Amino acid sequence: MLLKVKGLKVKGDGKEILKGVNLDIKKGEVQALLGPNASGKSTLAHAILGNPRYKITHGEVVFDGKNITKFPPEKRAKLGIALSWQNPPAIKGVRLSLLLSNISKHKANESLLKNLSEREVNLNFSGGEKKISELTQILSLRPKLVIFDEIDSGLDIKKIKEFSMIIKKELVDKKVSVILITHSGEVLKFLKPSLINIMIKGEIVCRQKDCKKVLETIKKYGYEKCREKSTLLSEG
Amino acid sequence: MVTKNVEKKAHYFQRDNKIVNLSDIKGVEILSSKDAWKKYDWVKRHFSSKPIEGYFIWVKEQISFPLVSCLLLASHNAKQNLQNLIIIEKGLKVCLVGTCTSAKKTLHGTHKAQGKIILKEGATLDYKHSHSWGEQDILESNYLFLLGKKSHLSYILNLASSPKKFNMENEMIVSEKASCDFKLKGIFNLTRGNIQDRLILKGKDSSGQVQLRMAVKKKSKVSAISEIRADASGKGHLDCQGLLVEKGSSILLEPRLTCNNKEAQITHEASVGKISEEQLNYLRMRGFSETEAIKLIINGFLKV
Repeated sequence: MLLKVKGLKVKGDGKEILKGVNLDIKKGEVQALLGPNASGKSTLAHAILGNPRYKITHGEVVFDGKNITKFPPEKRAKLGIALSWQNPPAIKGVRLSLLLSNISKHKANESLLKNLSEREVNLNFSGGEKKISELTQILSLRPKLVIFDEIDSGLDIKKIKEFSMIIKKELVDKKVSVILITHSGEVLKFLKPSLINIMIKGEIVCRQKDCKKVLETIKKYGYEKCREKSTLLSEG
Repeated sequence: MVTKNVEKKAHYFQRDNKIVNLSDIKGVEILSSKDAWKKYDWVKRHFSSKPIEGYFIWVKEQISFPLVSCLLLASHNAKQNLQNLIIIEKGLKVCLVGTCTSAKKTLHGTHKAQGKIILKEGATLDYKHSHSWGEQDILESNYLFLLGKKSHLSYILNLASSPKKFNMENEMIVSEKASCDFKLKGIFNLTRGNIQDRLILKGKDSSGQVQLRMAVKKKSKVSAISEIRADASGKGHLDCQGLLVEKGSSILLEPRLTCNNKEAQITHEASVGKISEEQLNYLRMRGFSETEAIKLIINGFLKV
């Protein structure tokens, strides 16, 4: 197992957000995490990366056999965990090319970046440009596990397909594990996860292997019904 | 700290109170201020008193390379008391690279500089001025920039490492159709700093902008009063920003706009803030240590 999240309880701003989450990801596996807004999906991603804003009050995170629960974010990044942020912050005065040369010895994918490399990191970037910036950074890091937080938000279907194909070619085909966080599910049509996790109010309420069936069920009943329909969305 | 490269390149190089090099350049007269005082009567009105030390640079013809000056504190308790005068003749375009620095961190030196920079009609000066001091040094600096008609000044002062006391006053007087771009940026460490600058739009259609960027660390207290005064129909903008890096530091930022002409347009923006936790965490998730991330954010902030 590459990542093992065991009974994770997390507080943010003093409020309990995650209420005992379990998650296992194998090497090279693609999983999805679906849920309505504010269900705790991003909190889980940030907690796995060690964002100090979120406090783990219970449980542990094990990566590549190491208990990393108390590791600082930079140590987790160096072990090979990367997060593509949903809304990455702008960093004034720092060119993207400088950031890329600092985070990795590996040359960044110039064809992906186009004219972004000499611009200040995420400053006045459009939604699509932010995703390109995030993806380029992630690829430069050569990670073992990548969490994409809402990679499909703000992108049209053509762009979602384009990004998905890059993720497949550069990560999935190279046996990098991927967690796709989404609430629309569009990206799942192209990246075919082996397991869908549904999160509601800080808990993973069900898991299912059949992506199409899950999306149909969500469309039909809504997320809120998932807990009730957990027999339908049973453990795969 | 001064590099061997700057020492070699400097057309005027002073170590403590001794002039080490004074270059002979065609079209440029470089003298000690003391000698300039003796040689030219007209020079006397530009000094507040008879100079003891300092440089006189008079650019009379177009040159194709940057002029380099270096003022170095090299000995323990060294005290410099400089009066500098730079004159750029009509229509000339000049680049000046100035370094004021201390050779070591713990010299307890004093660098006191008073100066006047005169740009005659249509002249352009691109002045890159860097300061780097030891933590026990004292700096006192007072400069007046006189910008003649249709002249242009681009001045960047970069404080790479700050002294114990940093007192700096600058006044820029801008004539008709002249423009001034004044930038001061620095990292203040264990420093008591006082910065005062005033841009005076004196002539019709004059323009100018002042940008201050101060990153304040380790119990430093910095006060900056920055003013634009419009006496004529000019345009000016003031942009002052402070970054409080550590607890126990403080910044007093006072932008001032004084408008004495109804045709003038002067504006300002000012802010003081701390390093964003979000930026810090973002960079740490990219593998930067907290210290490296702070350094990167500060360097970005200081880029103006």
